[in-house]
Amino acid sequence: CFSSSAAAHIGVGISGQEGIQAVLASDYSFSQFRFLQRLLLVHGRWSYLRMCRFLCYFFYKNFAFTMVHFWFGFFCGFSAQTVYDQYFITLYNIVYTSLPVLAMGLFDQDVPEQRSLEYPKLYEPGQLNLLFNKREFFICIAQGIYTSVVLFFIPYGVLSHATQSNGVPLADYQTFAVTTATALVIVVSVQIALDTGYWTAINHFFIWGSLGTYFTILFAMHSSILFNIFPKQFHFLGSAHNTLGQPVVWLTIALATVICIAPVLAFRFLKLDLKPQLSDTVRYTQLVLQKKQKPCGRVGRGVGGG
Amino acid sequence: MGKKQAGTGPLSRRPDNSAFKQQRLPAWSPSLTANTVLPTFYILSLVCLLLGIWLLITVENTHELKVDYTNAGTCEECFNLRKSPNDSTTACTCTVSFHVPTTFPGDVFFYYGLRNFHQNLRRYMDSRDDAQMVGRKNNLKTPSSYCAPFDYDADRNPIAPCGAVANSMFNDSLTVMYNLMDGSKIQVPLYRKGIAWYTDKNVKFRNPSTNNTFPLQQAFEGTTRPLYWQRPVYELDDTDSNNNGFINDDLIVWMREAAFPNFKKLYGVLNRAQGPFTEGLPAGNYTLSINYNFPVEPFRGRKELVISTVTWFGGQNYFLPIAYLVTSGLILVTAVVLTTVYVKVGKRGKNMEE
Repeated sequence: CFSSSAAAHIGVGISGQEGIQAVLASDYSFSQFRFLQRLLLVHGRWSYLRMCRFLCYFFYKNFAFTMVHFWFGFFCGFSAQTVYDQYFITLYNIVYTSLPVLAMGLFDQDVPEQRSLEYPKLYEPGQLNLLFNKREFFICIAQGIYTSVVLFFIPYGVLSHATQSNGVPLADYQTFAVTTATALVIVVSVQIALDTGYWTAINHFFIWGSLGTYFTILFAMHSSILFNIFPKQFHFLGSAHNTLGQPVVWLTIALATVICIAPVLAFRFLKLDLKPQLSDTVRYTQLVLQKKQKPCGRVGRGVGGG
Repeated sequence: MGKKQAGTGPLSRRPDNSAFKQQRLPAWSPSLTANTVLPTFYILSLVCLLLGIWLLITVENTHELKVDYTNAGTCEECFNLRKSPNDSTTACTCTVSFHVPTTFPGDVFFYYGLRNFHQNLRRYMDSRDDAQMVGRKNNLKTPSSYCAPFDYDADRNPIAPCGAVANSMFNDSLTVMYNLMDGSKIQVPLYRKGIAWYTDKNVKFRNPSTNNTFPLQQAFEGTTRPLYWQRPVYELDDTDSNNNGFINDDLIVWMREAAFPNFKKLYGVLNRAQGPFTEGLPAGNYTLSINYNFPVEPFRGRKELVISTVTWFGGQNYFLPIAYLVTSGLILVTAVVLTTVYVKVGKRGKNMEE
């Protein structure tokens, strides 16, 4: 009994007539043996899926965020000047990008629970380590690095020669910082939107809410009220208004988003088309089934895009 | 949503049967099907193409001219003079001739450009005191330690404005003369104010208060000028009290650090009130006359005058239109590849059916 629990990944105890010793020593416990089926095929599967998607996204968003400084190093004499405002660096991981990925990690489902029980073969990717291994890890990192290249060089190419319509140049550090930071938050939000397979109301609230919070805090920190209290801390006064009021900046952000997201869409579509996994097929069948159940074509619960 | 049976009973410890706890929340499960992805790619390609063409047409309407005056014309002598700091107080003027091929219609903007000057170095950017520049009396007399070694001079007098950014302020004076047909020259009139951000000029930079009772010089009593400057800060513009001291437009423009080593900063706007300049900058021969003060040889930099017209999109900036056109092309290629794969190899979605 002891050796088998040492070799296993999780320990499951069943509380019953013979006492609760097994329960105290186990990771999960329940009262009837038949609950083991749901534990593995539904909750275990979903847990593995959520964990893998969460990890991949976490590495991606942090590499996209950090590697921009590496590219900027070539242009700032490697003096370790940050690309973003200090407060953005502090709040990026805590406020702007934490809740959407948390919601995905809590609620994501690739197939509904009934299908999970019907097709036990769906459990296989977990056993074979398919969703997060060395190869998947390097793909996440590579995507993060590619995103950082786009997020640095597109604003660099545009802003280094850009001016506002009143002739004042846009090539200053604070404009560049705000442009790059805004592009980053938007790109990683679009990416989490692509990664989220199960959009509950909470996911919607967290994703749109994080974006809204970013803009609110940005304008608040670049306002004259905070500047007049702590001039040295909030020295980005006026940047948000000046930068985000320029059409050039929004066109730059839009271009950066398209260049970052289009390859992801293309790769995922190709993968679905050429090598769909069982979970993709089941999910697609579920979609078709739900569409058939609504002959008028009304979009209802659980019906996907397309 | 609460427990159906409270206290004891066979099912008392059953978890809530709520949608949240049983993971049955109503949700949308999107799927990347061909019906959504392929049209998205084609539409994206079309939008990028249209944007690229529109922006390209807009940028084609701008004019830009650069005159590198580091050691051009008669400036070779000044360039050599400024190589060492010994003769830094000796004045040096020089002239460069240039030609404007076509008339620059509308508002014309004059910039000074620097190459290889890293205003984005970390220690350089930290070396300033925003509290001092907003006019606080405490910070005026005790500049931040970040400004070191440009915070106090050899006699422990506080420097106003302190820091490396203010100290390295660009101090060339540029005058453009237009060569008229009859051989005489007239000066091209420039507005040298209103070239900074509104928030910079009115909120971020403020002179220490004088209550309108005593002159600005007295407000700066007890401080000294930055080491590389020839005049103290309260003499930057004697003629206009709204452009003197910390709120001097040239100082504010310089203090807004550039993000990259090759940059341009606004110097002036063409005054189109009179003379041959009412329609813009006429074509013809011009002479640029420079009070050459800013040394660029120590860091192998270059100085230039940039003249440009603008549209709603800004000055002459080909990067964005071309980037949009290239992106449009790449997305179109991807879309075609995806469609071909979907039709030929992917068996039109047959893989998805069981």
